[in-house]
Amino acid sequence: MDARLSILIAEDNAADRMLLSSIISRQGHRVLTASNGLEAVAMFDQEQPDLVLMDALMPVMDGFEAARRIKLKAGEALVPIIFLTSLTEGEALVRCLEAGGDDFLAKPYNRVILDAKIKAMDRLRRLQATVLEQRDLIARHNEHLLNEQRVAKAVFDKVAHSGCLNAPNIRYLQSPFAVFNGDLLLAAFKPSGGMHVLLGDFTGHGLPAAIGAMPLAEVFYGMTAKGYSLSEILREVNAKLKRILPVGVFCCATLLNLSFQRRIVEVWNGGLPDGYVHRIATGERLPLVSRHLPLGVLEPSDFNDACEIYPMELGDRVFLLSDGVLETSNPAEQLFGESRLLNVFAANRQPDLLFDEIQQALSAFRGKAQDDVSMVQVCLVEAESLPRPPLAFADSGQSSPLDWAASFEFRAQTLKRFNPLPFLLQLLLEVQGLRLQGGALYSVLAELYSNALEHGVLGLDSQLKCDAPGFAHYYRERTRRLAELDQGYVRFHLQLLPEASGGRLVIKVEDSGTGFDVQQVLERQRTAQSLSGRGLGLIRRLTERSTWAADGRGVSVEFSWNDQA
Amino acid sequence: MADIHLDSAVLAGLQDIMEAEYPLLLDTFIADSEERLRLLHEALANSDAHELRLAAHSFKGSCSNMGAPALALLCKQLEDDSRNADVLVEAPAVLEQIEREFAIVRILLKSERQRFSSL
Amino acid sequence: MAITSLPSSDGQELTIRIQGRFDFGAHQAFRDSYERINFTPKRYVVDLDHTTYLDSSALGMLLLLRDHAGGDHAQISLVNCNADVRKILAISNFEQLFKII
Repeated sequence: MDARLSILIAEDNAADRMLLSSIISRQGHRVLTASNGLEAVAMFDQEQPDLVLMDALMPVMDGFEAARRIKLKAGEALVPIIFLTSLTEGEALVRCLEAGGDDFLAKPYNRVILDAKIKAMDRLRRLQATVLEQRDLIARHNEHLLNEQRVAKAVFDKVAHSGCLNAPNIRYLQSPFAVFNGDLLLAAFKPSGGMHVLLGDFTGHGLPAAIGAMPLAEVFYGMTAKGYSLSEILREVNAKLKRILPVGVFCCATLLNLSFQRRIVEVWNGGLPDGYVHRIATGERLPLVSRHLPLGVLEPSDFNDACEIYPMELGDRVFLLSDGVLETSNPAEQLFGESRLLNVFAANRQPDLLFDEIQQALSAFRGKAQDDVSMVQVCLVEAESLPRPPLAFADSGQSSPLDWAASFEFRAQTLKRFNPLPFLLQLLLEVQGLRLQGGALYSVLAELYSNALEHGVLGLDSQLKCDAPGFAHYYRERTRRLAELDQGYVRFHLQLLPEASGGRLVIKVEDSGTGFDVQQVLERQRTAQSLSGRGLGLIRRLTERSTWAADGRGVSVEFSWNDQA
Repeated sequence: MADIHLDSAVLAGLQDIMEAEYPLLLDTFIADSEERLRLLHEALANSDAHELRLAAHSFKGSCSNMGAPALALLCKQLEDDSRNADVLVEAPAVLEQIEREFAIVRILLKSERQRFSSL
Repeated sequence: MAITSLPSSDGQELTIRIQGRFDFGAHQAFRDSYERINFTPKRYVVDLDHTTYLDSSALGMLLLLRDHAGGDHAQISLVNCNADVRKILAISNFEQLFKII
């Protein structure tokens, strides 16, 4: 540290000026002198001294005015001004302070006191310089950080908002910068018209919390669009996050798979607070409890993708929330907690006002508005009431194949762990003429496959699903039987035929089951609106032609298209 | 203290600080003081209490630095008196005392200067 | 927030005691509590008796300790959990990774 300072002495009395100059230069500092205030200001402009010793009463311009001007010129930098005056006149001292004086020195001068004051002022001056430097550095870093966040948010918004959060059956509440709180909300239509929804909460804050959101969103949207199941998406997301995130960073998440046709919701909750299925008819709220470790914690081999399945009726809602709601704290450091949330639920009369009521309760509890909570509510509606976005394709489809046939047989070991639907859909969508009806094609394939697997290979009776307990029993049985499966098959025969102005696709599906009474099932379809068997009606509605083999072990459906259309 | 015309301890300190420039400091003080006295007389002649006070204040300061306590005390008295213009009646007498005291200090400083030069 | 660690007399076990809020602010102190020791414990005990609050960063820190202590082979007990702490651990299903007493 260079202790040599440049010091300006403004003093009209020549003997005092000479004496002070000598004392200060003997102490090793560089001395500048002025004999009145005006000279002092000019000297300050010219030499930028580090410190000023200023006589109060001087001709031409007094020390008070000169001090004011010098302080103004110095701006934020500290140029200490020590007034040279006897300490007897209180009024004069006040004027010194008002003019910006930092200290006083009385005559007669004392070398030791002067040295101590100069050193103290120098420390203060350096401290101020350091503070300013650090403030500017922090401001630059902050500017830099905000810019990075803006860029990251712009990229993230493009990825996250490519989904269907704006669908009419979804309501959500999230701060625009939620991703920097680690909060993530995604929703996407499945090719079959159902919907996947994800509410996630990464550990930490800022960019580290946001960084995992990008790959998660990519996997979620990419796989949903290709028709992968929730379990497959969960496995992939978990494996990817486990691979790329450092130990200790993970994502608490709830994933939903809503099937509007089948009127069910499939739920996986790893680490988020209870979500709820709200049954409008009874007012009942079923908690969707966390059964799993968060995503990105377990090795792929240890990961559990088991989902729970709940039947839903039209108008029923699924409500999810991040822990920001429960962890909102009041000035006494109490947490909002689950019981207060349940009180809001209990008081709720109009489901559409639930969000506002929760927000009001949080604001009242906290004493001010809460902006880092995420909530989403998804309503089960008629599939037809939702807009279906067209499937997106990377290629132009010019090299579309037209005349081919292929058969696939998926056997027990494959059925247990492989979902053939994305694979079949990808293959069929190479045919340009089928792309416009990709959604219907996928819905029908999905329906045919689950019928063949569940009723055929696994021998499950769809009548089990006549009420809610039976429904749960049905899906437990499905899981159990699939795990124990050691024989059986599902076959797909695909036949593509060119026609004069378009083409035709014939899909035949066979399974190893014992078959069923086709007439009876179709009859039941027409008469009852049970939880079961909405599927056959769907197939008949979406395909041009559908025929069942008399023994119920095979089905044939047809799609056709017209190039001129 | 008031009866001390020149404080030899202060002078020793000044000599220590100023080294070779010590006689120059003494000369400067003497010349400066003569100028102050002229200003004091002028202010009094013009009945300018403000100027009188400034000059007395400044003179007081350098007297204290130079180790002339009696002179400094008289300057302070003049400075205090001139704070209230009504009391200017007292000022001529005080200025007269300052003149006498400075004459003594001046002689002592001249001899101090000679003493130093002969070292 | 104060974190102290104490080895058992036989040097087989390290007890880490967390007082006050267990959140990101405890990050360095928590790491130091098991990294700045000159022996290798077989077992770890995290005493949450005086822990008032625990957030997801704290869960992340517990995972770091688990990694440090040998991952799937780590022997870590979380003891004296109050109802709130227990609830947070339950939501995250951390009983699959830690012995919660």
